This record gives sequence, C-alpha cells and structure tokens, in this order.
Amino acid sequence: MPDKQKAARKAASPDKEEVRVGVYTCHCGGNISHVVQCERVAKALGKMPDVVVARTDPSFCSDAGQAIIEQDIQELGINRVVIGACAPSLHEQTFRNTVTRAGLNPYLYHHVGIREQDSWVHDGDPEGATEKAVRLMAAGLAKARLLTPLEPIRLGAEKGALVIGGGVAGLRAALDIAHQGIRVTLVEKSPFLGGRMAQLESIFPTDEEPRQLLHALIEQAAAHPSITILTGAEVTAVSGYVGNFNLQVTQHERGLSEELAEALLAACEQEAPDNFNYGLTRRKVVYRPYPGCYPSTPAVDWEHYDGRPIQVDGKAVVLKDKPQVHALTVGAIVLATGFNPYEPRQGEYGYGEITEVVTLPQLIRILAQVPQGEPLIWNGHPVRDVALIHCVGSREIEGVHTPQDDGQVNNYCSRVCCTASLHTALELRRRFPEINLYELYQDIRTYGRGHEEIYNQAQSAMVHFLRYRGEKQPEVAAAPPGDTHPALVRVVDTLTYGEEIEVPVDLVVLAVGMMPSPIDALVDMLKVSRGNDRFLLEVHPKLRPVEMAVRGIVLAGTAQGPMNIQESLSAASAAAAKVAALLGQGRVELPPFVARVDESKCDGTGACVEACQEEGAIALQTFQENGHEVRRAVVTPANCTGCGACVGVCPKRAIDVQAWTLAQYEAMVDALAMDIPAFAEAEK
Amino acid sequence: MASNPKAKQPKILILATLAGGYAGADSTGQAHADYPANTYILPIMCPVMFPPEFFVRAFERGIDGIIIMYSGTDSPYKVEADGTAALVNSSYALMKERGIDIRRLRLAAICTVCVKPFLKEVNQMVELLQGIGFVKDELAAPVTASA
Repeated sequence: MPDKQKAARKAASPDKEEVRVGVYTCHCGGNISHVVQCERVAKALGKMPDVVVARTDPSFCSDAGQAIIEQDIQELGINRVVIGACAPSLHEQTFRNTVTRAGLNPYLYHHVGIREQDSWVHDGDPEGATEKAVRLMAAGLAKARLLTPLEPIRLGAEKGALVIGGGVAGLRAALDIAHQGIRVTLVEKSPFLGGRMAQLESIFPTDEEPRQLLHALIEQAAAHPSITILTGAEVTAVSGYVGNFNLQVTQHERGLSEELAEALLAACEQEAPDNFNYGLTRRKVVYRPYPGCYPSTPAVDWEHYDGRPIQVDGKAVVLKDKPQVHALTVGAIVLATGFNPYEPRQGEYGYGEITEVVTLPQLIRILAQVPQGEPLIWNGHPVRDVALIHCVGSREIEGVHTPQDDGQVNNYCSRVCCTASLHTALELRRRFPEINLYELYQDIRTYGRGHEEIYNQAQSAMVHFLRYRGEKQPEVAAAPPGDTHPALVRVVDTLTYGEEIEVPVDLVVLAVGMMPSPIDALVDMLKVSRGNDRFLLEVHPKLRPVEMAVRGIVLAGTAQGPMNIQESLSAASAAAAKVAALLGQGRVELPPFVARVDESKCDGTGACVEACQEEGAIALQTFQENGHEVRRAVVTPANCTGCGACVGVCPKRAIDVQAWTLAQYEAMVDALAMDIPAFAEAEK
Repeated sequence: MASNPKAKQPKILILATLAGGYAGADSTGQAHADYPANTYILPIMCPVMFPPEFFVRAFERGIDGIIIMYSGTDSPYKVEADGTAALVNSSYALMKERGIDIRRLRLAAICTVCVKPFLKEVNQMVELLQGIGFVKDELAAPVTASA
C-alpha cells in the first residue's frame, strides 16, 4: 500500500488528521456538460479548503473514469470523495465499489445529483445551473469533510423464513424460498390452502382451471421437506429483528381425527353460511370448501359451531378447539395476506336490498353451481338480460361516493376487475348465448398481455358497452310489479353524448374492487406501514418494490395492492429472491445508517426513547462509572430504521444517524447559503 | 428561466425524503420539466431528525425559503406523518419568536412520481419569496408586535 494511501486510511479514522478530498464532476456524456460548465465547477471546487484534486471526465462511471478516482485515492492520498453526477439511485453503489477497490472505506464517499436535479431541469439557464452545481458540490464537500468510516451492520441470521398466507402468492414464495435451501413455515389463517384463487373457475387470459394450478403448487409445497404448513393458524406475538424474529403462532385444533372425520362430516347437521360461495349458500359446520381441497381432512368452523354433540355410531361427539402454540425463530417474514373483495354497503346499487344485485365474485360462484348446458335461473326466473357495473368500490371520488367506516373512499383502481368482468361476460355469452349483456364502465383498463384481446372478443360477442362518468354513477332500482324484468338500471351514457338509457335486467353484477385483508393486529405486531389505500407499503415502488421499511419483512401479492395472479406470482418470486439473498449466507449485512449515541454527551434524558416508534430500537440502560450510576441511551442497530426521530428531540445533541448527521446538514446548509462572491473568488 | 448573474436570487432549500420528494425531484428531472435554479435539494431519510432550531439556523444563515418534501402518510416510517406535522408546528412557533415569516417554511407531501406537485410547490415558494424578499432583510428589521 502506498504511503499516501496509508496516510489517507489513517486520516479517515476519527482522530484529527488531514482531510484530503477528491472532487469529481461528471459530464455524463454531455447530459450534464451541455448545460453545466463542468470545468468552472471543478475550478471553483478545486480552490475550496481540503480539496486536493478536482477533475472532470466525460463519464466517471466508465471503467476509465473509475480508474482515475482509484488512482487519485492511491497516489494522492485522497481520503474523501465527492462525485457530482447522475442521480445517486443510479450510480451511488458503483462509486462505493470504486472507492472500496482503492482501499477507502465506502462510506467516505458522497454523491451529488447534478443531472436530474440540475442540468436536466435548468437547460435554459446554464449560468444558474452552473452556480447551482457549484453550491450543491460545495455542500457535498462540506458533508464529506465530516464523514467517518463506517462498517455495515453484520448479524447472524436464522436460515428460516415465515410465510404468512397460503394463497397462490404465499405458496409460490414458500416454494421458491425452500428451493434455495431455506427452511419455511407457511402459516394460513383458514383451515385450507388456496386463498381467493380457489374460488375462481377459470382464469384469464389462458382460461386455465385455477384449482388445478393451485393443486400443482400445493402438492409441491406439501411434499417439500423444508416446508412446514400450519393451517388454521395465526401469528399472535412477534419480537426480535431481521435475522432473528421470534414468533408465536397459535393454531386452532382441526377438531377431527382422521378415523372419525368422514363420519362426522356425514352426521353433522348444523349449518352456517358458506364463505366459499360468498354466503350465497349454506354448508355444514364440519366441512370441506370444495372437492380436492388441501388438507383433505374436513375442518370445523369454530366460529359457527354451537357445541352441540354430533351423533356418530350411537355416540355423542362434542368437538373442542384446543389451540396449540408454536414458537418459531426465523430470519425473514413474507407477508402474503392477500385481499378481500369489496363488500358493497347496504343499498349501494341496490345491493342487499334488491335480490337481483350480486357481486362479480358471487356471480362466479353462482355460475359454478349451474351445470353445463342448463339455463341460468336466478330467484326462480330465467336470466335474459345482465348488466355488469364496473368500478364498484374502486376509483371512488371524495364528495361523490359515500365514505366507508374509516372515512375514506377507495380512490384507487383495482386493476383486475375490467378484464375479470369482460372475461365473465364472455363466459356468460358462451354458456347462455341468448342473454343480452351490458357492460357499464368508466374506462376499460385491460392492461395485461392478452387482456385487450378479451376486450376485443367481448365487443365481437355483442356485449353492449355503456360508458358512465365517475361523478354520475349508474342507478339501480327494483322494477315496478308486473314489469317484464325485476330490476332497472339507469345510466347517462357518454358514448351516446349523454343520453339517459334505461336497461331492464334480470341480474345486476357489481364488479367489485379489492380491499386489503383485515390484518390490523399483524400490522401492529410487526410495526409495518400501510399506504393511504390501506394496503401494505413497500419502501420504494420502483427501487425496492417488495421490501418493507422493517428490515427482513417482504411483500408478496395482493397484500401490497390490487394485482392479477400473474403479477402476484412475480411479486412472490421477487419476495423469495429477497429472502434468499438476505438469509442465504446465514448472516445479514445491513447499511450502517442507524442511530449512534455519543456517550460523552448522553445524560439519559430518555427523550429519544420516548420519540422512537420502532420496537426495541433504543432503550435507556444503567451503567456504573467511577463509582456512580449513569443512565444512557443504547441503540439496537438491527431494530433501528434510521428515521432520526431520536435526533430531533435530544436536548444534548447526543445522538445522530450515522452518515446523515445533524452537523453534516448544518455544514451543507452553510455551504449552500454562502454568498456568491465566495464562488467568484474561488474562480479567480 | 434564465437567472441574471448580477441579481441576487433568494435561496430555496428543499429537504426531500429519499422515499418521496427526492425521488419526485428525480422524476421531475427525467421529465426535463423546467424550474428555477435557485433551488437546492438535499436528500433526507425522514424530516423528524431536525429540531426546530435547525430551520431557524438555516434562515439566519441566509436560506430564504425551505420546503420539506416528505412522503406524508405513505412513508415507510411510521413516525413521519404525525412527527413532521408536529415538527413544523413547533418550528413555526420558534420562527414567530425570532421574527421570521412562517410562510418561508412549507411542508408538502411529494411522491416518487409527483412531477406536477413538485413544480407547483417550487413555483409557489419562488413566487412567495419574490413578494416577501430576503430573509436577512426580515431578520434585520425591528420585530413588531406579533399579530
């Protein structure tokens, strides 16, 4: 190692030693230099204190460009690096690797974005853009002077994962994780696997049978030696952090022995609404939701079973739920908790008041019960005219739609309902060619591969399209007695320039949107965030689309937002890849951007502990020092998200987020606020 | 918008969360949407790390306007939405005490693709500062009885 580099490494230690900064302004192949006068920026920065070298290059991210920086570190003893280039999200890691290769700590480098936030937005003001680049780079320099070497947080990690949710996303994630040699526990709240997909009869765009596809996944998961499946189970307690989550899972008793299961199923007389058919039918409280379900052993509906004995072979059998508690330690958690279809409120489009109004998921279950070749009968009447209304519980407008119990409207698009509605219309056309079909829509959003064809097919199949505006919803009313049809739909149709059209129908189908599953308790236990739409929220929709802010917790499928099955599976595989990358080495490496207490300043006020909302991130501890008892805050880095809530409230300024310190921000502000003459002077 | 090199421009500091405003500013750049160059964006993890004194200090140093661009209730940090609102309220109280016009500090929820809201916030602050002038002039003026 060259002497200067040794000096630089030494200087990078917290001791007061010479700071030697290299400042690099990238032309970005003209993207920056066509507006920002990079040479002037370099010249101005080169005259600032502690700057040893200031260079420009057509492309510092190229191999040649990176080699210049490496050479400067090694030959000039540079121990802080500031690079002005494209957005940090693109090349920050590239340059961390560059400085690491040259022997410098990767956190002694600071990246300044002068393309997206300068040259690309001020191309009509090159002078202003250049001055701005100088100020931003000067601020970066001010921060760089205060950077200290940091190490990633390294934690041992349990090579096991918990997947919560046994629908298609949870199954896919569990299998993908297990294939990487990581132990998986799959926890499903209901007594059977399959989730919402099991309630479908045909899936677009391939028209495959969903339960067949599910069965293939379930078979693999059930047979996989690294996967443990717990049905009828819920997470009831959580502690720990990434790499070492300690969980309590409470599992309801299946309630039936293998030997007696069939006899009890046959003998059971008590009934309850059949959730599998969305309450349209009733089933026994000892039940299987559908033939071929997994597990095949019937389950007891504990919510509705009233405790009455069931007579089997002359014996009175009383079923009892004795929940078991399982203790688990896992390194990561996958949330695949899925969705619920939107439940229209009483009277919304006549739902719950007019018996001819059903939801699309209900219609799918109704059709499943009509044998092929038989006519569609509803409420004792043959169905001749059907209206399908889109966007029910989606794309709602504040002030127009009635808010839900939490005061919110669902202003998001549920994305899958347009294609699902058209796909069902085609199914109706195929099975009941005489039926007249009306699709009442705002916009058709058949966005996926092969979905637009379904729209085209529906148009060719003589489905009538009526377009309404969001603020003028269609109205559904019961028809007067003696009318030819039981219900009447009124719509102001923008396709006919605002004509009000009345459609007498036998069935109104509400294409309902998606709502997140009710998982409040789980959200509270895991301390994870939800978006305004109430779905679970990723860290960043593009850069970290399946990770949550709580490290080690990832998202799979519709728990995150409306998705079709294909997208859910992609998200599940992405989540599994994240888990595999995280736990594959048996240890976890995390960025060091967490709170750090300055012991010399902390006097244990506890303000930080009070401000912190991350479970177990910071606590007050008592120490013995020189015969005295002292209290100080102690950070558990694995639980700290680096939000800095502790920093802002500390009266002693005794705590900071590493690499994002308050002093660094103050220095940056000072640099930004510097008067223009300072730069003019620097340019001389 | 070309700047006159001889005319001193007010300085606008934008503290933008990595999960929200900073990515929103990048999106604005990708859209090549023009806005004034006297705007300086610093990335932050979450605004709650700043005490109210930080903002007052920045104004005293010569920053004329500050926009906090956070993620609102869509933040990955549970503390961000309520904590930032509380922080801004405390900062307003301190700014009033020091005779600083509280309109110089604004809070805006900006998402990763919020190009138009980003531009709107920036332009509104520019317009405001054109009206109320430099903070140093305000700080130099004698403090009158508060409204």
